[in-house]
Amino acid sequence: MLEHDVLVIGAGLAGMRAAIAASANGANTAIISKVHPVRSHSNAAQGGINAALLDRGDDWEDHAYDTIKGSDFLGDQDAIEVMCSSAGRALIDMEHMGVTFNRDDEGRLGTRAFGGQRRARTFFVGDFTGQALLHVMFEQLIKSGVRSYEEWFVTSLIEEEGQVAGVMALEIRTGQLHAIRAKTIILCTGGCGRIFEPSTNALIVTGDGMALAYNAGAGLMDMEMVQYHPTTLAGSGVLLSEAARGEGAYLRDKNGNRFMERYAPNMMELASRDVVSRAEQTEINAGNGVNGCVFLDCTHLGEALIMEKLSQIREIGIDLAGVDMIKEPVPIRPGMHYIMGGIKTDIDGLTSIPGVYAAGECANVSVHGGNRLGANSLLDTIVFGERSGNHAADACRSINFVDFNEEEVVAKEERRIADLMERPDNGDRWGAIRQAMGESMVRNVAVFRDEQTIAEAIRDFSDLRERYNTVPVENKRRTFNTDLVFALELGYMLDVADTIAFSALERRESRGANARTDFPERDDENWLKHIVARKGEVGPELSYMPVTITKWQPEERKY
Amino acid sequence: MDVTINIRRYDPEAEQPGSYWESFEVSVPDNATVLDALIKIREEMDGTLTLRCSCRSAICGSCAMRINGHAGLACKTALALAVDENNSVTIEPAGVMKVIKDLAVDFELFWDKIRAVEPYLKPAGAEPEGEYIASNESMLHLSGVTACIMCGACVSDCTVLEVDPTFLGPAALAKAYRFTADPRDGNREGVSRERLRELSEATGMWDCTRCNECVQACPKGVAPMDRIMALREQAVQAGFTNNNGARHTSAFTESVGHSGRLDELRLPIKSVGGVTNIGAMISYAPIGWRALTHGKMPPIRHKNVENVENVRRLFRKLEPELSGPQIGKNSPFG
Amino acid sequence: MKYAFFPGCVSQGAAPELYPAAVLICQRIGIELEEIPGWTCTGAGVMQEKNQFFADTLNARNFAKAEQMGLPILTICSTCQGVMSQANKRMTKDPEYLAEINSHLAEEGLEYKGTAQPRHLLWILIEDIGLDKVTELVTRPLAGIRMAPFYGCYIVRPTEALDIEEHPERQTSLETLIETLGATVVDFEGKTRCCGFPILTINEKNSMAMVGKHTSEAKDLGADAMVTPCPLCHLNLDGYQPKAAAQLKRKVDLPILHLPQAIGLAMGISPQELGLQKHIMSTQPLTVKLGARR
Repeated sequence: MLEHDVLVIGAGLAGMRAAIAASANGANTAIISKVHPVRSHSNAAQGGINAALLDRGDDWEDHAYDTIKGSDFLGDQDAIEVMCSSAGRALIDMEHMGVTFNRDDEGRLGTRAFGGQRRARTFFVGDFTGQALLHVMFEQLIKSGVRSYEEWFVTSLIEEEGQVAGVMALEIRTGQLHAIRAKTIILCTGGCGRIFEPSTNALIVTGDGMALAYNAGAGLMDMEMVQYHPTTLAGSGVLLSEAARGEGAYLRDKNGNRFMERYAPNMMELASRDVVSRAEQTEINAGNGVNGCVFLDCTHLGEALIMEKLSQIREIGIDLAGVDMIKEPVPIRPGMHYIMGGIKTDIDGLTSIPGVYAAGECANVSVHGGNRLGANSLLDTIVFGERSGNHAADACRSINFVDFNEEEVVAKEERRIADLMERPDNGDRWGAIRQAMGESMVRNVAVFRDEQTIAEAIRDFSDLRERYNTVPVENKRRTFNTDLVFALELGYMLDVADTIAFSALERRESRGANARTDFPERDDENWLKHIVARKGEVGPELSYMPVTITKWQPEERKY
Repeated sequence: MDVTINIRRYDPEAEQPGSYWESFEVSVPDNATVLDALIKIREEMDGTLTLRCSCRSAICGSCAMRINGHAGLACKTALALAVDENNSVTIEPAGVMKVIKDLAVDFELFWDKIRAVEPYLKPAGAEPEGEYIASNESMLHLSGVTACIMCGACVSDCTVLEVDPTFLGPAALAKAYRFTADPRDGNREGVSRERLRELSEATGMWDCTRCNECVQACPKGVAPMDRIMALREQAVQAGFTNNNGARHTSAFTESVGHSGRLDELRLPIKSVGGVTNIGAMISYAPIGWRALTHGKMPPIRHKNVENVENVRRLFRKLEPELSGPQIGKNSPFG
Repeated sequence: MKYAFFPGCVSQGAAPELYPAAVLICQRIGIELEEIPGWTCTGAGVMQEKNQFFADTLNARNFAKAEQMGLPILTICSTCQGVMSQANKRMTKDPEYLAEINSHLAEEGLEYKGTAQPRHLLWILIEDIGLDKVTELVTRPLAGIRMAPFYGCYIVRPTEALDIEEHPERQTSLETLIETLGATVVDFEGKTRCCGFPILTINEKNSMAMVGKHTSEAKDLGADAMVTPCPLCHLNLDGYQPKAAAQLKRKVDLPILHLPQAIGLAMGISPQELGLQKHIMSTQPLTVKLGARR
């Protein structure tokens, strides 16, 4: 049987960083991913990675404060301290590995301004920082010699006597199911953006790890905290980086007014994302947009700057909307982009399930709280990817493999998959169900939400789950059967969708990204706490966790 | 917009496996990409249609395929620009790599080549405490190469790989250049030099035909062929000149620099290492003989262009290395 | 119409039949050619890898001379076309670069102002002369002849340097011309691929594999001949076809024509005058089929 001390699921930045760390720490490590590592969604991070470098006169505590304020005081401050104090080293490590960061005039790492931060501490490679980091991390993965199962899709966790003993995985190319035994598992499967339509997220971002953990009994925390990014392209909903505003771009309404002066007179376009998205949505709702969009104006930045630092998003605008940002403002709107919530972990990445870790967007450590600052996500993946890899490798020294009957578990999973494949073809296809789910989510659990809309989403999901129970798999072949994979992914998404809606309904206040029109104020007295969703008999069961506060007391949030 | 999408499909589990064409009539918004149409087919018309795709914004590198015969990203190709006068477009899997199913190809050949160039930074000395100090220009230059998303479009359309799968190919060579041109990798006596030595060998940089297919195919402006040319320049500068490719380039430049035009008769002789390489010269004999009997042997006495001194002046000034002392002494161009 | 003629080295060197054939058909069409005095090689992409600046300077020198003549440039070589277009793009989009090049040309009293637009005879026939005029001059249509086009890389790629966006018809110009001459186009995959010539002395096996692949593919599709606007392709496809066929272990025997030769045949010019006897691959089966006497 395939067997590894540490098995990392997902090969984005967090996953590869975890695998490299675990391997370097002496564990027999493997990484498994439903796509080739360089296809991972970490690619899509554009603007940069935050770090407070002492030799630039910056202080990690300032970075921590900005992050905490950005989180609307919902982030756990011990975790934020870990992240911000590790950032400098993590950044320099990436530079030493070969990332081609833009430089300043002295040849040192250059910075750009980013939202919600009082000084420029975002380090970047043009406007494709995530891709640059991901590919360098892949180079290091090759160098490490870590075993990589590419295009293998995890269909379930193997549980034996209440313990997680390994994973079942579908080798997509051949259609063969494999059991892989592991002492520890690190979930690094990224977010769940495809639950929303539109979303900036790649088609592979389907909440797999969140659902696997949830179904195994782990808690998903702060799931109502869904980030709507202020600048997503009209139509396709593809991301246009915050780097544009970091480099000085303006947001304008249909009359050319910079409306942010009314919402964030100090930080203007560089207020935190939840604030800017709400401002845009308010303007659009008031009829100050055009076709549901306001405008990102880069025309004053000049061709040279755009070509050096924003060339990729310029291409996206040209390719997908036919708009050249050098010449004209780009129509944009808030769009679902990221989920602050995720599998609850401690600062070493350990979940509530022994031997199961999580890092990156699928996890919630929690460093982002109610709203993530731009360029903190890349940092999160690298810092907590490394920590969880190291910790899992350490843990392996004192734990043993859990035995299970390979034939039996493989046969059981084969039967489950076969049942799915043999269903009659007359049910609704996964595409239609996913579309309906996504549209309901964006309509009802939107930038602004209230009890009624959220309840409607919950009703929709209940209907959709029934339709899902008869979803057919049209492709009956074994070879590269993506039709089967998508059907399984949809199951994962429906599980996670419920936790988002139920948590949003529960939080009866407005904090961070959870803007409730029926409860428009933040309510520290009652809601300065996390909401944790665990799988119950019928739908999610909710409980609370305290927010860890070290030294920064909640205060009014103004930009 | 109503379009016809003609797809070359392949099902290895069919009773008689083989590729076949299938047409789909699709209705999509005017600004749809080729990928939008393929996703629509997959989601609404035929769930067995197999392709890789993910980000929809030309960054993940999943959806390279041949669109109207040439490799490109489906997500970066506007359908309106791709269709012909009958509103139809042809879609085929990427070339060179083996088809697994429909538009999904086996990337193993691609990754083998990437791995072969030892694709990670190999600094020669100890790492500094902070970042390496490097100019912004040098990093911007490298970022132009690291912008590669490994989509395989260049490999798909490479004219050399089509006939010789052992060639390292455009993606891997561009990746290699990303290190040889990195001020942090090795040093003149160190690792980069070793990289250049290896890349100068057979199946490496000199096997490129400069056909520009990869430049045309690359959706990210990496221009792999230009990077291969830069590798050649680096290799020659590093002294790896004992190969036909390097000799060819020098001899060509010398010929033009000295006489203004190409001396085709002497060029092949110089390229294969002068008259000392008897084996190679014999292999050229048949063509030489045939050319002679058909009256198309290049003139034995190579003439100079009018006012050749102006060309030679530029040659001396701009290419001092080749126009050095050998001119008029040992050179066959003297 | 009058043009500054840039024949390219090969048309007077290893493919000496091309130059007179081109001159001959241009006379018939009424294209007046005035050779650029003291023109130099474009570098063929080879010099560019050694020293692009030197190569670009030599191209600027040719362009400056054509500017002095006050005539548009006409070439008969795909490679020259591509290399000149690429060099021209580099110079015209970067005034500082052009100024630096001009500083070296100043010593012989030359300056390139950036107005040259070098074009191949193939394009000029379609864009300036017009296909009607060509049709008028066709006295012996190549009816019944199946002809495979072979462009040569540099006249099709990279499209940006060749202004294909403004001139999409350039992408099918060779097929258009073949049809104008009365022949039937044999469309085949290899028509825009590499002939293998640039690596002839570096990796002969691959070079031969390319020649073998393209010629045999066209032959198997029933081609009577292949026509190319690129003398370098001609060198490989014609001159090395026997060797390529040997490597392929099969017979190919496909006549390869230079573009002006194909035009000349359709204009009733004798194969002898067009230099067809100078080819390595016999063109006799073609001329017999066409009923063209020596």
